[in-house]
Amino acid sequence: MKTRTADRIKIRRQLPTSPWLFAAPGLAIVAVFILYPFVSTLNNSFTDKRTLIPGEYVGLANFRELLHDDMFWIGLRNSTLYVLVVVPALVLLPLLLAMLVQKHIPGITFFRSAFYTPVVASIVVVGLIWVWMLDERGLVNAVLEAVGVGKVGFLSDQWLLLFSAMAVTVWKGLGYYMIIYLAALANVPRELHEAAAVDGAGAVRRFFSVTVPAVRSTMVLVGALSSVAAFKVFSEVYLMAGPTGGPAGEDTTLVMLVQRTGTGLTGRVGYASAISVVVFVVTVALMLLVLRADRKEDA
Amino acid sequence: MRISRIPRRAVAAGAVLAVLLPLSACGDGGDDGGSTDASGKIEGKITFQTWNLKANFKPYFEGLVAEFEDKYPGTDVKWVDQPGEGYADKISADAAAGTLPDVVNVSPDLVAPLAKAGLALDLGKAAGKYEKEYLPGAWKSHQIPGTEGTYAFPWYLNTGPLFYNKRLFKEAGLDENKPPKTYDQLFGQALQLAKKSDGKVATLANVPTIEDFGRYGVPLMNKEGTGFTFNDAKGVELLTEYKKLYDAKALDGQALTATPESTGKKFLTEAVAMNPGSALDLEKFKKEAPKLYKNIGITPQISSTGKDNMYVMGVMVNARTKQTPAAVAFAHFVTDAEHQMEFAKKVAIFPSTRGSLDDPYFTEQDGKEETRVRVAAAKSIKTAVNYTPVLFSEQMKVELRNAVAKALQGKESPEEALDNAVKNCDRLLKQS
Repeated sequence: MKTRTADRIKIRRQLPTSPWLFAAPGLAIVAVFILYPFVSTLNNSFTDKRTLIPGEYVGLANFRELLHDDMFWIGLRNSTLYVLVVVPALVLLPLLLAMLVQKHIPGITFFRSAFYTPVVASIVVVGLIWVWMLDERGLVNAVLEAVGVGKVGFLSDQWLLLFSAMAVTVWKGLGYYMIIYLAALANVPRELHEAAAVDGAGAVRRFFSVTVPAVRSTMVLVGALSSVAAFKVFSEVYLMAGPTGGPAGEDTTLVMLVQRTGTGLTGRVGYASAISVVVFVVTVALMLLVLRADRKEDA
Repeated sequence: MRISRIPRRAVAAGAVLAVLLPLSACGDGGDDGGSTDASGKIEGKITFQTWNLKANFKPYFEGLVAEFEDKYPGTDVKWVDQPGEGYADKISADAAAGTLPDVVNVSPDLVAPLAKAGLALDLGKAAGKYEKEYLPGAWKSHQIPGTEGTYAFPWYLNTGPLFYNKRLFKEAGLDENKPPKTYDQLFGQALQLAKKSDGKVATLANVPTIEDFGRYGVPLMNKEGTGFTFNDAKGVELLTEYKKLYDAKALDGQALTATPESTGKKFLTEAVAMNPGSALDLEKFKKEAPKLYKNIGITPQISSTGKDNMYVMGVMVNARTKQTPAAVAFAHFVTDAEHQMEFAKKVAIFPSTRGSLDDPYFTEQDGKEETRVRVAAAKSIKTAVNYTPVLFSEQMKVELRNAVAKALQGKESPEEALDNAVKNCDRLLKQS
């Protein structure tokens, strides 16, 4: 009896700390791979640190320099443009695709898998394939020449290059968001569609009055996820526009600028960190904007 | 009895600090370095790092390491190889973490920031007695303007010929046996080729790089190494000529975003008429483009100075090595005349040691095309220059490339573009 009481006290004594012990491995991972890099980046953004030189505190000098750096404004313009074009496409097109493949007809599984394939494909492979296709002597230009349009400089014109990269991002993301929408559509009661149809609503009306309201929270989620991913775009543009970021660097995005500025033996870690802080602030602002828009709709 | 509870916030803060505080000590390496005296006993364990050489030359390097260990009992050399892609990033990560290998394969532009950070051993001091074994130009290639010292042993040199497509030259009414040698000849022939092919065949697929400015005779940097000068009248003249080529489609439309791989592919598919390469490319042409191989022409690099461009590889010693005598001895062993010659017979590179280029291997023809390329390249390398300034970093290359692109697109005049490039490169130089 005495032993049992002692055990209870022992267990009680351990209780306050034991949850922390269970959480410790996860917390350690978060601290090492997220918290420390974040704090370090924030700290570095106020220094003139180089790759091999520790650097000194320079206050807001890096942020002031950003204001006069043409390449920063080009990066901000391109990243913002990416969000404005890619996000609406990735909110709407996968929903339409999901509605298309939602129907239970023979062979539909093949199409669902086919639409999902780009998601699992390596971005490097995808990027290279598109570069081959969009090359001046590639498949797309061969077709355009055959139909009399003539060659189009997809990979040499600054705007066409950026929009080509956006098209690849949308094409690669369609399947992923389609799956999310498929799950949401499965929860839309069929009776609602039937009732709307009985009331004389056509397909378009049913889409806007039944489907969209039913999957609105999923659309917000897709909007939030895709806007963050679009603002931080790197791989597609890097693979298609090359390490210099297109002709005269005009297709550089902010994350590409971070990579170019902060890496290598002469990398300006402090300055690149300042750009990273701006990317972080804009990303958080984007998330808050999307969530706020959702709340307003709810009100 | 009341059990005292530890506040949750205190536990969380403690956990975070326990993780972060040790980490905050990481990063800058610390000056716990070794000695600059290489005269002691050659012994101990050292690490040797090469740059993308394991895939093709594993037996050679394993033999080299074994030979050194036999020669100096008590030494233990660990050979590591890093992929070509991201090599500078790997070195910078190792240097920042204080884990740079004892002996490292470097190029002059990589050694410059390492030397400035005090991580490359001054071999002028530690191993100056070996200087006379190397070609003077090669020995100087690892000296950095503004600092005293030599920070790597010169290793192999490379220069490449220029390949051209004889069929395309002939079809444009040009003499396929008289390819351009100077930039003026190149500009004239390229414009004719573009005109005759109605803009369908470009002569070049690359925008001018810093080496082109050097070969055109543009002064690239002041003698003190404190500022760039490639925006002088000669530089503006070169860029103006390239703009004419771009407008006439004599320079490929995708040149502004081209990579060495993409230009190589364009030459292989006969979309461009000229492309730089090496003796190794001949085999590739034979296998992948037999039609091109039949029409292949080989000519020295275009140069208006009479001197070709050469690339220099070096072997540096980590200034913080604990085994300075062994590291210096091994770096010298890798780069001495005997081993450079042995390596040169395995791959199309050229030794940087005195007298090695006079070996019959580099002077005598045997009727083979590869030998013809090798002998011609060895001849040109005797007077070749490493035009790229050692202080010209990757970021500066991007600045120049972007400026060139702006001028070619007509967004800025050649003069304005080069002035801006020099201004930005000077700023980066001051910040480095």
